Amino acid sequence: MKANSCRWRRRFRLRSSSPVSGLTWLLVFVPFVAVFLLIGRYTMAGVTTLAAVSSAWLARRWRRRTNDGPLIGFSVFGALLILFIVLPILNLLFTTAPGRILATARDQTVEAALLITVSSAGVATLVSLAFGIPLGYVLARERFAGKAMVEAIVDMPVVIPHTVAGIALLFIFGRAGILGGPLHSAFGILFSDTYWGIVLAMLFVGIPFVVNQSRDGFMKVDPRMENVARSLGASRFEAFLRVTIPLTWRSLLSAAIMTWARGVSEFGSVAVIAYYPRTINTLLFEWYNFFGYEYTKPLAALLLVVALAIFATLRTVAAVTRAEHD
Amino acid sequence: MIRLEGVSRQWPEFAIKNVTLTVEEGEYLVVVGPTGAGKTLLLELLLGVHRPDEGRLLLDGKDVTNEPPEKRGIGMVYQDYLLFPHLNVEQNLAFGLRYGERAANEGQAKVSETARLLAIDHLLHRFPYTLSGGERQRVAIGRALVTEPRVLLLDEPLSALDRNTAARLRSELKSLQRTKNLTTIHVTHDLAEARQMGDRIALIKAGELNAVGTAEDLLRRPPTLFAAHFLGAVNLFEATFEASEGRFVAGPISAVGPSPNGGGNYIMVLPDEIDLLPATAVGLNLIAGEVSELIDEGNYVRVLVRANGLADPIAVYLTRQAVRAQGLGVGCRVTADVRNALHVLRE
Repeated sequence: MKANSCRWRRRFRLRSSSPVSGLTWLLVFVPFVAVFLLIGRYTMAGVTTLAAVSSAWLARRWRRRTNDGPLIGFSVFGALLILFIVLPILNLLFTTAPGRILATARDQTVEAALLITVSSAGVATLVSLAFGIPLGYVLARERFAGKAMVEAIVDMPVVIPHTVAGIALLFIFGRAGILGGPLHSAFGILFSDTYWGIVLAMLFVGIPFVVNQSRDGFMKVDPRMENVARSLGASRFEAFLRVTIPLTWRSLLSAAIMTWARGVSEFGSVAVIAYYPRTINTLLFEWYNFFGYEYTKPLAALLLVVALAIFATLRTVAAVTRAEHD
Repeated sequence: MIRLEGVSRQWPEFAIKNVTLTVEEGEYLVVVGPTGAGKTLLLELLLGVHRPDEGRLLLDGKDVTNEPPEKRGIGMVYQDYLLFPHLNVEQNLAFGLRYGERAANEGQAKVSETARLLAIDHLLHRFPYTLSGGERQRVAIGRALVTEPRVLLLDEPLSALDRNTAARLRSELKSLQRTKNLTTIHVTHDLAEARQMGDRIALIKAGELNAVGTAEDLLRRPPTLFAAHFLGAVNLFEATFEASEGRFVAGPISAVGPSPNGGGNYIMVLPDEIDLLPATAVGLNLIAGEVSELIDEGNYVRVLVRANGLADPIAVYLTRQAVRAQGLGVGCRVTADVRNALHVLRE
């Protein structure tokens, strides 16, 4: 009997990760619940209490045998940060009537904006895959002078403020831009305030995700695996198609979803290059400016649901990818 | 037949330097060398994933230096198998079939024949991750054989396997190579493997070919000090060349050899070609000494004989029976007859 309980403890110790006792954990939530009660947000107070009790129960179960002071402190600080993210999201989701969200989703303007956003992000994703996968492969396989520079350039769209990116793109692709001018006069292709302008902006901000993720995926495939394929008669390109791609398609899929999600959520550069036709973000921004935040709330909640759905898909794909590689 | 002519390739942190080597049709060449000597890179140069900066590569007399790997018909098997994880065993075996010119049913027949040959025909529908190491390596070898390569390159094919599996696969691989008369180049760091499998052994040191020869040649008459050390030679004594006698001399030992060309010269005394005689025997290369230690090595006894004029004792390998019959013990005075055991080599 005793030996048996020992075995149980050992199992838990091996699996335990949280050093915080259930009670400490519970205390972190108290101020939040109190605030919600005070301002009369009873639903939120209820949700928070539920979250507090369930996580405290988990913390108690997974607690370490030895107490570790600093780690407990760190965890409390970390928990505050997590709450900072979770609270606004939960609040928006749970305090908006589902009926209002649905009604907003059926609004013609919203529908059109959603369609434009989703499809232009899709086009931007396809374009970035077509150019980003080859670049990712080269970066994964070759060493060359200036490689660090190329990698830095790929990351630039992450750090450049997106409004700046929009302006910078306008100077190239705008009606009077270096490329935009000739393109317009020769082929009638216009980027400012068009669907293709939106695609352009989304492409710019999505590039780092495609290139970096596909590069990381390709790096996980041993180049000697391609050597073997070539020794069997496959050309380098056939080896890429028959060996490398089948082994990295999940990374590529996750790169695609990420790029797409980045496109869907892009506002700054899109608004600069192509305020019209309105994307869902532009619409949200406009409604907020004209009608205030209470009016915009259902639309925000709707967009949040869309984003969370994308996010859940991405995490699932990523989890499956990890399982495959382990 | 595969021939390298002065093949060199410079990498930022490593170089293959001026390798000239011929492997005959149906020959089994084993390449040995310390870790980082460039054995794998040499194979990859042959395979064609790296191009030499200088030199030529001839395959059956045809210059293939600038051919890509897929045009060379060289099979490659790595230590860690590198089976295609997304394909089952049958698909792995059949991977290369679509590239050759052969009828559809011929390919299928080739897969089943190879699978039977390597005793993996019961695994055809399994995926690589479900296989044991030995099974994986059989599949990897089979995958290379299905395309009927002109040359087979094996990069430490048995090193990741446990002793018994490796030993079994070793002899199977050798007989497979014999029946197919397949020109094979096999890289290993396992000297026993090299001795058993290689028709010839090539020794690589820091990207250069240091010595080539049959196992017998390299072990009994290593041409270089590095080869002698690497192949585990014992009884190496630094020698001086006595021009008046035209002989190399190390203390009481004296031997004839190729004339010196500067650099250090060494006399190697083969430990299993030495006779221990009673202390009374006197003559050239009969070395008087005293037994300083008897070490039981399991299959033989290593007798260390300390002699005047030699810094290290001479090791003599004897059977237990011989030790018993001569009543050898520490402190016994003996004469080591090294007349048939001498070999001169250079640094």
